[in-house]
Amino acid sequence: MRTYAPAPTTEVLRRLLEEPSLARGVVHHEVIPARDADYGEWPDWLDGRILAGLKARGLDRPYVHQAEAVAAVHRGEDVVVVTPTASGKTLCYALPVLQALAEDPAARALFLFPTKALGQDQVAEFSELARASGLEISAATYDGDTPAPIRSAIRKAGQVVVTNPDMLNSAILPHHTKWFQLFEQVRIIVVDELHTYRGVFGSHVANVLRRLLRLCAYYGSRPVIVCCSATIGNPAELAATLTGRSAALIDRNGAPSGERHLLLVDPPVLDAATGARGSALTLAQRWALPFLRAGRQTIVFGRSRVAVEILLTGLREALREDLGPRSRVRGYRGGYLPTERRAIERGLRDGEVLGVVSTNALELGVDIGRLDVAVLAGYPGSITATWQQIGRAGRRTDASVGVVVASAAPVDRYVIHHPEFLLERSPEEARLDPDNLHVLLAHLRAAVFERPFEPGEVFGPGPADELLAFVGEWGHIRQSGDGRWYWSSENFPASEISLRAAAPENVVIIDTTPDRPRVLGEVDLFSAQVLVHQRAIYIHESVQYYVDRLEWGERKAYVHRVDVDHYTYANRAVTLKPLDVFAESPTVTGRRVHGEVMVASLVTLFKKLKFVTDENVGWGPIDLPELELQTTAYWLTAERLRGPWRRDDLDVALLGAGRGIQAVACVLLMADPRDLGLVTQVRSPHQEAPTIYLYEAMPGGVGLSERLFERHAELVTGAAEFIAACPCEAGCPACTGPRLEPHVDAKALALRLLDELGAATHAEGGAVGTALAS
Amino acid sequence: MTAVTLERRLANFRAAVSVGPRIEVEAAERRERSSLAAAERLVATVGGEIVRGRGGAFVRLESSAVALPVDREALARLPFQPTPDRPLLCLDTETTGLATAAGTIAFLVGLGWWEADRFRTVQLLLPDHADEAALLAELASVVPGEGWLVTYNGRGFDWPLLTTRFRMHRHDAPGHAGHLDLLPLVRRIYRHRLPDARLRTVETHLLGVQRHHDVEGWEIPGRYFDVLRGGPAELLVDVLRHNAEDVRSLARLVSLMATGLGDRAAWDRAPAGDLAGLGRAYRVAGRPEMALACLDVALAADGRPAEPTPSAGHVAREEAAWWLGPADLPWGLRPAARPWADRAGDSWTEQRLLVERAHILRRLGRHDEAAESWVAVAAGPGRLAPLGWLEVAKLRERRLGDLPGALAATERARIAVDKRRRLGLPEPRLEAAIDVRLARLRRRLRVA
Repeated sequence: MRTYAPAPTTEVLRRLLEEPSLARGVVHHEVIPARDADYGEWPDWLDGRILAGLKARGLDRPYVHQAEAVAAVHRGEDVVVVTPTASGKTLCYALPVLQALAEDPAARALFLFPTKALGQDQVAEFSELARASGLEISAATYDGDTPAPIRSAIRKAGQVVVTNPDMLNSAILPHHTKWFQLFEQVRIIVVDELHTYRGVFGSHVANVLRRLLRLCAYYGSRPVIVCCSATIGNPAELAATLTGRSAALIDRNGAPSGERHLLLVDPPVLDAATGARGSALTLAQRWALPFLRAGRQTIVFGRSRVAVEILLTGLREALREDLGPRSRVRGYRGGYLPTERRAIERGLRDGEVLGVVSTNALELGVDIGRLDVAVLAGYPGSITATWQQIGRAGRRTDASVGVVVASAAPVDRYVIHHPEFLLERSPEEARLDPDNLHVLLAHLRAAVFERPFEPGEVFGPGPADELLAFVGEWGHIRQSGDGRWYWSSENFPASEISLRAAAPENVVIIDTTPDRPRVLGEVDLFSAQVLVHQRAIYIHESVQYYVDRLEWGERKAYVHRVDVDHYTYANRAVTLKPLDVFAESPTVTGRRVHGEVMVASLVTLFKKLKFVTDENVGWGPIDLPELELQTTAYWLTAERLRGPWRRDDLDVALLGAGRGIQAVACVLLMADPRDLGLVTQVRSPHQEAPTIYLYEAMPGGVGLSERLFERHAELVTGAAEFIAACPCEAGCPACTGPRLEPHVDAKALALRLLDELGAATHAEGGAVGTALAS
Repeated sequence: MTAVTLERRLANFRAAVSVGPRIEVEAAERRERSSLAAAERLVATVGGEIVRGRGGAFVRLESSAVALPVDREALARLPFQPTPDRPLLCLDTETTGLATAAGTIAFLVGLGWWEADRFRTVQLLLPDHADEAALLAELASVVPGEGWLVTYNGRGFDWPLLTTRFRMHRHDAPGHAGHLDLLPLVRRIYRHRLPDARLRTVETHLLGVQRHHDVEGWEIPGRYFDVLRGGPAELLVDVLRHNAEDVRSLARLVSLMATGLGDRAAWDRAPAGDLAGLGRAYRVAGRPEMALACLDVALAADGRPAEPTPSAGHVAREEAAWWLGPADLPWGLRPAARPWADRAGDSWTEQRLLVERAHILRRLGRHDEAAESWVAVAAGPGRLAPLGWLEVAKLRERRLGDLPGALAATERARIAVDKRRRLGLPEPRLEAAIDVRLARLRRRLRVA
């Protein structure tokens, strides 16, 4: 197929599917038919200038979701807009904001984006629309890069302030008196990329919003909140948890799209006994190349910077051999200069750049236009992210192709074999817990700093008095004679909060590569044990760093940049003790429980594993003290197992079943497998019965375990299906975990146990996907 | 997550965390203790009187007025100063932190004003957070709308902080006609003879005041919090004295500047460096004639108080620093000063005075004299020699229409820069600028 003649996308796809070596790996090929646009009408209250501006930009009519959102916001309702990539979400909030400003120039709006780059993109887009409408509107980003003289101008006169949660936490809220014009007049708050606010980060942001809304109420404003989210299973619930208010769901997508092909590809098993598989990277290249040769704009996503480099080198080599359009294939990732990035983005929009290999840096709303083909080398970790990446390919009229190539990880394979997850209602939920005590208390302190608390004042789930009394015991706040709680310390509590770590005591990661060392980020102690121990490879924004030393006492890790072909994996030895039961319920064989546990964790050695193959290429010792972690967990016990179980067999079965449940749980709750720890006990000293625990690997948890408890049945059934569907013989790293003893059939044992745990009964209705869809 | 679960989790959390130094406060007792009681407790130790106002009570302390005359006519002649008819209110706060954010309060506001030749100090002390509204109301009533505030770094710290406090109570900060922040003036005028710009350093070096047993600034918030939590009120005695002394020093400094620099007769006694700094201040204030007069007196001065002789390395950096332009270097900022920047540009050599003079003459349009001043600069040593000739060349080329003269000056600049290159001090950018000018001038002369 060495042809460079331009060819239509569908033609290239047809040829590829005729190639047996490629076609064999395709486990699912879905053709999503083209759909026409579904239009609404511009509302009649819309200012004439804005209407003229829209028409001048060729927007004669809005899509239905835009019309619905604009109308709801105008009525003063909170909304959450859930539509795919590039469906014109910006307009949903830009219009009401423009209208508010056209009516009253004193009005203000606040836009929140998870990252700086996105905010800057959106300001440009918003300003263009404002200019087209002939409105003089001052919209500005307020972030770490904003120069000091401009800052005070934005505080006083910025009508639309675009910022991120970190700036809101540390620069805006504690200084609210300097922002009173904003707080008094804010009409609309926009929370874009809602789905990114989950886990620890989401739990923090929920509290930042609590503080924000508290101050708005004090200044007498009641802004409407507009959330925009990629497709997830629970957008309305997520918005409600994050903002503390219920929002109307707008998910009737009116944007048109051309025909799309979605292919799910599983690398062939090379050795059924060990479960070894072909490389996802190689396969992804093979899928991408013919499209590039045919002149189709193609984006290839790799999961790490190294993967990107491997893919890029491979593609360029192949194209050179064939004298193809080598120089028109570019790499894109964190660490590139902004100007380089802008040039690539522009090149993609105007067609100058033919192909791009990217990390997830191009997953969020950066504008690169619409491409023909997206190839994902590995499942990006969530269905939402998968759709956002696939969504980069999608012409309004022509056909487009999305290819997802699974890696050997259990989660990848689980998703690949459940196309209904991708095609029907997304089963995954974004979870966060704004009432995680560590998080809640940190923000409560910041809130007291911002304004004294009245007795009985509500913060979060209820009156804050008892929490305040608790914080008061440490002396940073005090209750005065008038009953109010006041901040009484020299400290600046907002600066002590890291929005990406749960507990206040964190290890700071310091990059010594540049002349002036800089802080890369922070990780909580528990994660630090496995992520930044000495000689670890720490990956930050897809860049690898080698940990030179970890000063445990000082809570500092010193790292420098490296480019290596391996990563490290630290073994955590865990003992677990239940502390409290919040909820429990009987199951077929025992109980399922949501509660609190104490996890003692000791990390003693790490392995070096090669990228792509996960081949073990070395190990080393780790000398760190044992840590205790108080967190929430979900566990299931099996007091009443039917058959006789040999103790050894039960051990293997519990571990295999546990891994299956863990994999399914990660998919359902958009969690990283590192965030959900697994402990199995054949005869738990605390339960007097075989027990599988899944605990949240961050202090206090972020609400995952509560939800796992509720979705117990799906977990057990899903795990059974997942393990059964694995083409290995008797268990492999991709399902039940690495085989410890060659003669034991971990697969059969795990399936037998899951069957007893109730998988069979719930599987009656068919596949999990069907159960989920109902 | 329900509130009940949260309660359970709090209980577990409380049980699990290792408790540090825990502060046990009996809630009931605390609630009974009214703020009036707190004020009474303070008054019993530190003196003063309790003033009960709307929204609480505060302690007002007044010290006996001291003789501290200030020549307002002389003061008004200085740059950025209020006219003699404006009342002045000296103000200095003690706060619970250094951030001017919402959670920092001014628990002590020291005020001072003149009644004829006598200076009177009044302090407002906050017994409890809850009394702040009353204290702020009193402050608002004391700030004269037609008057000027006198502070030390008050533009950057005290006043923004108080503005935040007023805003926290949904009020605007009281209006006033002007704000005389002494810190930037001290930087301009006295930096050449001060190691840093802290008020206490100013006292020792300029005002001849030596404090004994003074409380350190960083101790102050902690002492106040201790007292709030029931610690002995004695802790505040030193703080009150410290604050009163700060307020008085503001007055002393105003008086010193007025008498020391406020009229021409006084200039003859002033150190050349002070005059040079004053000249710079006049220049910034848009009064170049006065600036020129200052510099002329400074340059004419023989047998003046000697200036500290700067070390060689120091001179090089200093030249680099001031040559960059008139922008002030951050100097002696409260709380954290940048020590290296503190020293940059703090010495006035004759050469620098001439440079300053040349700048002013050019601004006044007196290009001939400016060029002369630059010639005098170029006669001196160091990097200023080529720079001086280059400036002469610029003036002759653009303003004086003397192209051959400009070429001659540029050639002199080239010689001077070559000499520095031979000394191992090459100036590539300067050389490039000189060469461009040389080429252009030669071309223009050939054409003409």
